[in-house]
Amino acid sequence: MASVAAALRSVGKRAAPGGDREDGDRMVITPLGAGNEVGRSCVHMSYRGRAVLFDCGVHPGYSGVAALPYFDEIDPAAVDVLLVTHFHLDHAAALPYFLEKTAFKGRVFMTHATKAIYQLLLLDYVRVSKASVDDMLFDEQDIHRSMDRIETVDFHQAVEVNGIRFWCYAAGHVLGAAMFAVDIAGARVLYTGDYSREEDRHLPAAETPPFSPDVCVIESTYGIQQHQPRDVRERRFTEIVSSTVSQGGRVLIPAYALGRAQELLLILDEYWSNHPELHKIPIHYASALAKRCMAVYQTHMSSMNENIRNKFGCSSNPFNFKHVESLNSIDSFHDVGPSVVMASPGGLQSGLSRQLFDRWCEDGKNACVIPGYVVAGTLAKTIINEPREVTLANGLTAPLNMQVHYISFSAHADFPQTSAFLGEIRPPNIVLVHGEANEMARLKQRLVSQFDGTNTNVVSPKNCQSVEMFFRSEKVAKAVGSLAEKVPNVGDSVSGLLLTTKGFTYQVMDPDELRVYTRAQLSSANITQRISVPYSGSFEVVRYRLNQMYESVEESAVQESDVPALVVHQRVTVSRDSETSVTLQWSSDPISDMVSDSVVAVILNISRKGPKGVRAEEAARTKEETERMAHKVVHALMVSLFGDVKAGQEGELVISVDGDVAHLDGKSGDVECENAALKERIETAFRRIQGAVRPIPLSAS
Amino acid sequence: MGTSVQVTPLSGVYGESPLCYLLAVDGFRFLLDCGWSDLCDPSQLEPLAKVAPTIDAVLLSHPDMMHLGALPYAMKHLGLSAPVYATEPVFRLGLLTMYDHFLSRWQVSDFDLFTLDDVDSAFQNVVRLKYSQNHLLRDKGEGIVIAPHVAGHLLGGTVWKITKDGEDVIYAVDFNHRKETHLNGTVLTSFVRPAVLITDAYNALNNQGYKRKQDQNFVDALLKVLASGGSVLLPVDTAGRVLELLLILDEYWGQRNLKYPIHFLTNVSTSTIDFVKSFLEWMNDSISKEFEQNRDNPFLLKNVSLIINKEELEKLGDAPKVVLASMASLEVGFSHDIFVEMANDTKNLVLFTEKGQFGTLARMLQVDPPPKAVKVTVSKRIPLVGDELKAYEEEQERIKKEESLKASLIKEEELKASHGLNAKASDPMAIDGSSSRKSSNAGSHFGANVDILIDGFVPPSTSVAPMFPFFENTAEWDDFGEVINPDDYMMKQEEMDYSMMHGSGDGLDGKIDEGSARLLLDSTPSKVVSNEMTVQVRCSLAYMDFEGRSDGRSVKSVIAHVAPLKLVLVHGSAEATEHLKMHCAKNSDLHVYAPQVEETIDVTSDLCAYKVQLSEKLMSNIISKKLGEHEIAWLDAEVGKEDEKLILLPPSSPPPPINFKQFLENKGWQVEFAGGALRCGEYITVRKIGDSIQKGGAGSQQLVIEGPLCEDYYKIRELLYSQFYLL
Repeated sequence: MASVAAALRSVGKRAAPGGDREDGDRMVITPLGAGNEVGRSCVHMSYRGRAVLFDCGVHPGYSGVAALPYFDEIDPAAVDVLLVTHFHLDHAAALPYFLEKTAFKGRVFMTHATKAIYQLLLLDYVRVSKASVDDMLFDEQDIHRSMDRIETVDFHQAVEVNGIRFWCYAAGHVLGAAMFAVDIAGARVLYTGDYSREEDRHLPAAETPPFSPDVCVIESTYGIQQHQPRDVRERRFTEIVSSTVSQGGRVLIPAYALGRAQELLLILDEYWSNHPELHKIPIHYASALAKRCMAVYQTHMSSMNENIRNKFGCSSNPFNFKHVESLNSIDSFHDVGPSVVMASPGGLQSGLSRQLFDRWCEDGKNACVIPGYVVAGTLAKTIINEPREVTLANGLTAPLNMQVHYISFSAHADFPQTSAFLGEIRPPNIVLVHGEANEMARLKQRLVSQFDGTNTNVVSPKNCQSVEMFFRSEKVAKAVGSLAEKVPNVGDSVSGLLLTTKGFTYQVMDPDELRVYTRAQLSSANITQRISVPYSGSFEVVRYRLNQMYESVEESAVQESDVPALVVHQRVTVSRDSETSVTLQWSSDPISDMVSDSVVAVILNISRKGPKGVRAEEAARTKEETERMAHKVVHALMVSLFGDVKAGQEGELVISVDGDVAHLDGKSGDVECENAALKERIETAFRRIQGAVRPIPLSAS
Repeated sequence: MGTSVQVTPLSGVYGESPLCYLLAVDGFRFLLDCGWSDLCDPSQLEPLAKVAPTIDAVLLSHPDMMHLGALPYAMKHLGLSAPVYATEPVFRLGLLTMYDHFLSRWQVSDFDLFTLDDVDSAFQNVVRLKYSQNHLLRDKGEGIVIAPHVAGHLLGGTVWKITKDGEDVIYAVDFNHRKETHLNGTVLTSFVRPAVLITDAYNALNNQGYKRKQDQNFVDALLKVLASGGSVLLPVDTAGRVLELLLILDEYWGQRNLKYPIHFLTNVSTSTIDFVKSFLEWMNDSISKEFEQNRDNPFLLKNVSLIINKEELEKLGDAPKVVLASMASLEVGFSHDIFVEMANDTKNLVLFTEKGQFGTLARMLQVDPPPKAVKVTVSKRIPLVGDELKAYEEEQERIKKEESLKASLIKEEELKASHGLNAKASDPMAIDGSSSRKSSNAGSHFGANVDILIDGFVPPSTSVAPMFPFFENTAEWDDFGEVINPDDYMMKQEEMDYSMMHGSGDGLDGKIDEGSARLLLDSTPSKVVSNEMTVQVRCSLAYMDFEGRSDGRSVKSVIAHVAPLKLVLVHGSAEATEHLKMHCAKNSDLHVYAPQVEETIDVTSDLCAYKVQLSEKLMSNIISKKLGEHEIAWLDAEVGKEDEKLILLPPSSPPPPINFKQFLENKGWQVEFAGGALRCGEYITVRKIGDSIQKGGAGSQQLVIEGPLCEDYYKIRELLYSQFYLL
């Protein structure tokens, strides 16, 4: 089901959509966060009346409501599915708010490992921010409640919700990180989240989807930068650590509690194992949170790469570290002599890492290794530029003597990875998110030149700026059952039921076979209606009135016992069931319903007027009498129109107007007249009179 | 036309023989399961042997012998070489089951039907899938999508859905609709109206009680024996139902703080539990929820000790204990040995939790009344000593010589070939069957191993210049000396980093427990000594159904719910199969088949179908109405060239009844059923006439709405209409 992107245009210009484009074929992608920024990832996508939200994070640089994505831009109640790629705060932390404080009714999915860590991470987040922030977005209870609404999905497992089919691929980055592919009516969108195509010690490289999505929403954190090879970085890292501690210094590694920290610990633990001389120097791991999450790492081995799974298979769990001790608080830390401490948060905003930094920053022997991407506005970002002085948490300034190293172990894709990834999956539309404006602009430029001439659109919308795309998806229906007994030739006509399932598949079939071929076990039925109308007059009156009203009133062919019955227009059977009522019976369809309604009206009318309004002889009138009556009416009306009208022989009317004489045949309407103008007038008049006098023919029957 | 589908059972119909079926979908041949009984009788596999090389893909549904036991043998000896598809737990636990089975056999016999290497290589072909993962087949199977779904019964147990052109073939054997302590119930009931459903009649005649009560009875029976000083033996499978039993016991022991030891004894018990611990996402929702919220892993099994050899058990002496030991059939393995020891004591209990396989010791003991005594063979592998050892060594020597002779002959052959000789060279040795098989081995050694022609060999007359194979080692030189390849001298940074990780090679060998590895690596020549003996069965015997399969009633309702167009029944005793067949045939409009072994039945659906494209113009004119999950519209169109074109006139025809009663109730009407009619409000009745069990085909129903003229009448009618699409 190839779909073709017809156009791609930013809403800002708001050009009128082409006339043949239906609203249903328009896909709109709107970043509610992470548009030209890093943090609060949240991308809204709608197509064909379905809406998907990717990620739901907060901005680590802001607090309170300001940290949220721009939820006001969308209708939360209309979002069908919310897909969370991984547990980082900038991808998942707005979830309790979105679930508990908005009208969102849809379903939320994430991978098993993500869900397990999500809860711990958010509880920790609430605990930490409680101290400093007044307007909390949500509390512990909201998080616990959100756990009940989150559903889990395994890698590659395909799930369908309300016609939205989606599944996920391993994305590297952190444990449980996924990239989601969404398929709505054949249009496919790939949302990478944060991903890394480089296999590290415990995580697999991001998978490359085996198809080409129509739209790829991709992160651009590192823009056009290029990582050093991993072994070079690892060597630099271990060298800095070992040289610092061997000179008696302390090493501070401010890291996000989860994700890279585990990778670094694996490196350090292995390095220590290979260097017995370092055994006396402690590695502290100061995060109660990470300690709690270790069980998750030890369990979800299947989300990790082959290396570590094999290691697991043949020896003990590699996450049982031999040289790493965990540290609960700064009070229980005996700061004597060299040590290596890994502490959160990674941005040195507050908490343990900040306390240690304040304590150690004036000593030139010490070192601080910043191992990952740092968000603008945090202290970590400031010290990378190695200022002479820094402001401590207590507001004083102190000289910055400690050595600051920046070695990126961040598991985000760099330019060669991004470019290779896009080169392999070749999406016709690329939407850049999750990157600073400058990096993103450079990346966009490079990608545009890379895909020059391949009809690829690259856009980098700002927050709340929608990207519109039009897809003309090919709709293929499957004709089944007796309809399909032979394949029709050109020019044959096909008619049947067209059944559209939620998943946008089409089937054409005979209505009688509905039940056989539908998965929902639909079936067809007739509704027969029987209604009794109170009426106590004579049935003859009914017959008379009906005869007056309808063109076709017949005696019912099937007489039940000796109850008199009439069939009106071969649809509605009117019968006298009891003394006090008349029963109408018909099978439902719009015309019969209309006829029956009018029959009911007629009968009610009779009752209202009472039986005395009808003369017996009139009721018994023959067809001839009707004709005569009609003739009389025609005569009278003609007189009123033309004045001098005489009745001729055999129903002929002789009309004289201003000396011109016309003969009108009362039955056929033929007019003999020398004056053409008069002839025409009489013909028209007669036609109209006939139309008024005779019953309305029911053309549909 | 529809997709052609044929089913040929190769084993496992009209009886309880292992499961193995051939399914051809448009010529693509699936092997559904590849089971073997615990007796490992190659004659059972004869039907499979005939077709094995033609198989295109193997789908495994459960990690036990009955579903995958024959895989290594078939791969090794029957020419089965197709890729195998299974879920991760079926792969892991299946592998462990095969290890355990081999080790159990090997300890008591000269088992040579397959080796551990064969098991490894058979499982190397396995493509591991996740539940609900749609896997597209390639090449010959283009257009076929296979997807595993939750089956219950065993961890990782799979209901396979095979889809081609929108038609589903579902293979669902041994499913369990009930949620258990560690597993979710099957999702089979979420499939509606597949073209073909292949299922088993195994439990068609059995009905089960309530699970909670059953668990309680089970634990009570154990405690009674333990309290009176006896021990309990539970013969179990390696990594299947035993997990459920372990959880029940561990939980109960934990709650009651019981002190009786529980032992889980298989050759691979520690690995099994290690892997199971990391398969939480495959288990039931409450387990994964418990882990997500509190990080509690139930398979930490605080009250169970995992042991991998019998010596440890013997150290414990005669104290009352519960032992779960493999194999369930009591044929060989730890359970067999322990049974022989325990059978003599009236205090003891042997509790079977599943029906023994046909013809096994377990089955013999399950008859009513149980036999007073049974004949068993007690075997043991002992190291060779004295003369025997000498003879063995001589034999080995001789074999080695023969091998090298053969190898050299083959080398000779290849040399000839490399010298461009006529391949038809009349060499009497080439006819030797073994030489052709060996050639691949020898080929790989060729060049590395330069042992040469042996005396007494006459070169074939056709050879031009019989020559000593001499290869000149030419080194290239240039102006700077010998040309080197810089790579040879590179420090392999990556390799050093990974040396730890790659330590285990392909990883498979590493996973056998050390104890078992010791058994295998121990290369001391050994032999098996066996003696027949008669065991007096004095201990009590009991059978409780912990098989974790849906019972007869549920199977019937599941089938009725799924309502396949065609139903194929397999696996189950003749009576059970007949019973279910009769039941299904009378209850609904479906076609039921119950083929015999090697009988091919054609279940191609008589569904005619062709595909048409819906033009944009047509679609924009269609007014469709939402109807439950579907949208429905009347379509009138003319067939155009290549894609469907042309006009659409709206209307004419109607569809389906939903639960109108409930609907009315929701709308605030007083509704009740009386005398086959639905009374709505005071006056109005709605009744359904005609065939209430809607037949397929012309499934039109008649609904009658009746009442006096009043406002309610029209309101009800409006509501009724709203449930229909009036065309």
